[in-house]
Amino acid sequence: MGIYEVSLATIVLINIILALGLNMITGFCGQISLGHAAFYGIGAYCTAILAKAGFPPAVTLLCGLILAGASGVVVGLASLRVREDFLAITTMGVGFLFLGIVRQQEALGGELGISSIPSAGMSKIGFMLFVLVLAALAAAFSLFIKRSWMGFAFDAVADDEDTARVLGLDVAAYKLSAFAMGTAMAGLAGGLYTYFARFIVPDDFGFITSITVLSMVAVGGIGSVFGVMAATVVLTLMPEFFRFISDYKLLVYGALLFTVMRFAPGGLAGFLQTALRIRKARGETG
Amino acid sequence: MLYLELLIQGIIYGSMYAIIAVGLTLVYGLLRILHVAHAGLFALGGYLGLLITNATGSLLLAMPLAAAGVGLVGMVVYRLCYHPILDRPPYVALIASIGLFIAMEEIYRLVFGPYGLTYNDVPLQSQIAFLGMNLRTAELAIVFGSVILLGTLSYLAQKTRIGVAWKATVDDPQMAASFGIDPLKVRYLNFFIGSGLAAIGGIFISLLSNLVEPTMGGVPSYKALAIIVLGGLGNVTGTLIASLVLGVVEAFGTIYIGHLMDRDAIAFAFLILVLMIRPQGMLSGR
Amino acid sequence: MTAILKVSGVTVRFGGIHALDDVSFEVTPGEFVSMIGPNGAGKTTLIRAITGVVQPQSAEIRLSGREISNLPTHKRSRLGLVMTHQIVRPFHSMSVLENVIFAAGHGRIQSVFGAMVSFDLSRERDRAMKLLGLLGIAEMADKSVRGQPLGVIKRMEVARALALEPKLLLLDEPLAGLNHIEAARLADTVADINRRGTTIVMIEHNLGEVLRVSERLVVLDNGRKIADGNPNEVMRNPAVRAAYVGKDETDAAA
Repeated sequence: MGIYEVSLATIVLINIILALGLNMITGFCGQISLGHAAFYGIGAYCTAILAKAGFPPAVTLLCGLILAGASGVVVGLASLRVREDFLAITTMGVGFLFLGIVRQQEALGGELGISSIPSAGMSKIGFMLFVLVLAALAAAFSLFIKRSWMGFAFDAVADDEDTARVLGLDVAAYKLSAFAMGTAMAGLAGGLYTYFARFIVPDDFGFITSITVLSMVAVGGIGSVFGVMAATVVLTLMPEFFRFISDYKLLVYGALLFTVMRFAPGGLAGFLQTALRIRKARGETG
Repeated sequence: MLYLELLIQGIIYGSMYAIIAVGLTLVYGLLRILHVAHAGLFALGGYLGLLITNATGSLLLAMPLAAAGVGLVGMVVYRLCYHPILDRPPYVALIASIGLFIAMEEIYRLVFGPYGLTYNDVPLQSQIAFLGMNLRTAELAIVFGSVILLGTLSYLAQKTRIGVAWKATVDDPQMAASFGIDPLKVRYLNFFIGSGLAAIGGIFISLLSNLVEPTMGGVPSYKALAIIVLGGLGNVTGTLIASLVLGVVEAFGTIYIGHLMDRDAIAFAFLILVLMIRPQGMLSGR
Repeated sequence: MTAILKVSGVTVRFGGIHALDDVSFEVTPGEFVSMIGPNGAGKTTLIRAITGVVQPQSAEIRLSGREISNLPTHKRSRLGLVMTHQIVRPFHSMSVLENVIFAAGHGRIQSVFGAMVSFDLSRERDRAMKLLGLLGIAEMADKSVRGQPLGVIKRMEVARALALEPKLLLLDEPLAGLNHIEAARLADTVADINRRGTTIVMIEHNLGEVLRVSERLVVLDNGRKIADGNPNEVMRNPAVRAAYVGKDETDAAA
């Protein structure tokens, strides 16, 4: 692996953690968020500031994770007040609010961001392996939640929260947990991105990033851990594959997003399921 | 004096927001879709208006032509993008719409170039003294143009057969269909009018900045989304009030808390604040 | 005997309209009470107020003597006050069995942290299967809820409510939309559930079935209680007849 491949692999793995975080909120618990990048940014800025103050990665990453998760609970409180489309726009607002505040803060570097962030003290390959382990943990944690009674309860909230409430479920507690876990994962991803890029600007965490992450979840198939991981790999690498037509790469990206939703709204996972079901049905009749 | 000036600034921006937001709220009221690609149509309006004005020298000719052209494109967008996925969960249309918007921005960039276009001779730039202030003709034109357009629209909605059919369909699609109103025709009309208004909005903003660029639709449209939520989603009167209120809040906010957050963040902070107090928007929906 | 449910002075206003005006009634353990009344009488609003889905302007609601009118819906449900909706609300993404298993696991999902570390559903699956058997829809267990006939979904919802081990089961028009035979069968099943010890309050328009299975009637009209007692006596009550004449004659005849 050359340096270029190692960098690509690292960013793919960071995006996997980020996307699995949103999958926890939107995929498992059914709460749409258009502001996921804000928590990615909170983790990144927190880590950057602490790293420049001389704290080691173990401390900075953990603080980024906790701060993002705590902010997630606050935004999760909003999900108790507003639903669906109102929630989508509220979370979009949270994203713009984060950006607008960071841009005006001298202490956070304003528009220019934070540069010359110390390295994590590992070689490029070492850091990639470190991120790989964390991404594997994030995936394992997602699968663990999905299979637990908590995952069952998330299904119920995503399906019909009023009925879940009538059946005795404390819907608020579950929504807040989903936000806490999902945004904490975003915070961790943000911290890792800080050590990876060693230079961050507000625009890294803007609306486009939120949308990109949501695309990864939707294209992968809302709620499917493996689908989301596959879509993250594809969507992260796609601009690289299309470098030979670099002028058109965003056009292709937008068109792909549109096409998947238009023709396979269940995403990759839904598409595979349908394909398997057709084959199975054929096998039974034939 | 400062207050009055800020108030006027707020009303100018508010009128522009209203022109954009009414189209969005029409779509939402009828189809429950957050139509992000509206931003793409807004930018297209800006381009068409500028190109026709530069070619013919007449803004008065450019406005209706651009509005009609963009209105037709809006109908095509409905037919190709939303019509096939109306029965899917709302996030499907939302993400498809975002994909379409990204693709549209890229097409403008590839066709018209990344740096934007300017007027050969910007219309309506002469200064007018108004209540002791110097305003540009364009600014007054925006306010009066919006009032006339929206007033005419509301008059037509109440007095014409097609307007009544449209209102009936928004209130109760099944009932309207049983009275022989074709819902498909109403949707086409809806997209034609909404997109046409977006085009006018695009031309208005280009008169203020003398610039039409691929990404010009983004921020005004995100704000328009915030506005239709503030207005109670699908509530036209609420949308108009929310547009003006947001314009004024931004104008005052930039002066008093501009050091804490930028203009966009002020708009969204206001949105979040209102939603936490009144989750159904300033004026509740239908 | 002390009342399992004691409702006093429930008043609900929507806008300026009194949906419910100072309604009071009691249910003793083991009873099968049916609540009837013309459309718009406030029956559904009343049981929604009892479960906390609707916030009354004033009310005192006691479950086995405990005041519950300040508790959120999910807490009332955990205390044994369970309702089924008039319009079916199954979890569409789940199978018939999973719908019931979820409710049977109500103990496991009480605490978020408990739910996170428990995986086993065999006990809940067994209970859910038993309940589906009791409701006579065991063979549909693994079918998706989508596309099931209304009769099956209504039975599934009763099974789901029973899985919560209710002390008091509130049923909102369980027979609506079912054909004659299905309605009679489900009414028998509900009566059977009552005989097994579950107290039942049922809103129902199907007077034929109501009179056949229930022990007591409560009649609402225009947001007020106009009669309460033995079904035959209540049906002879002139106020009840007046409320029904010209409004639900077809139902009354059924």
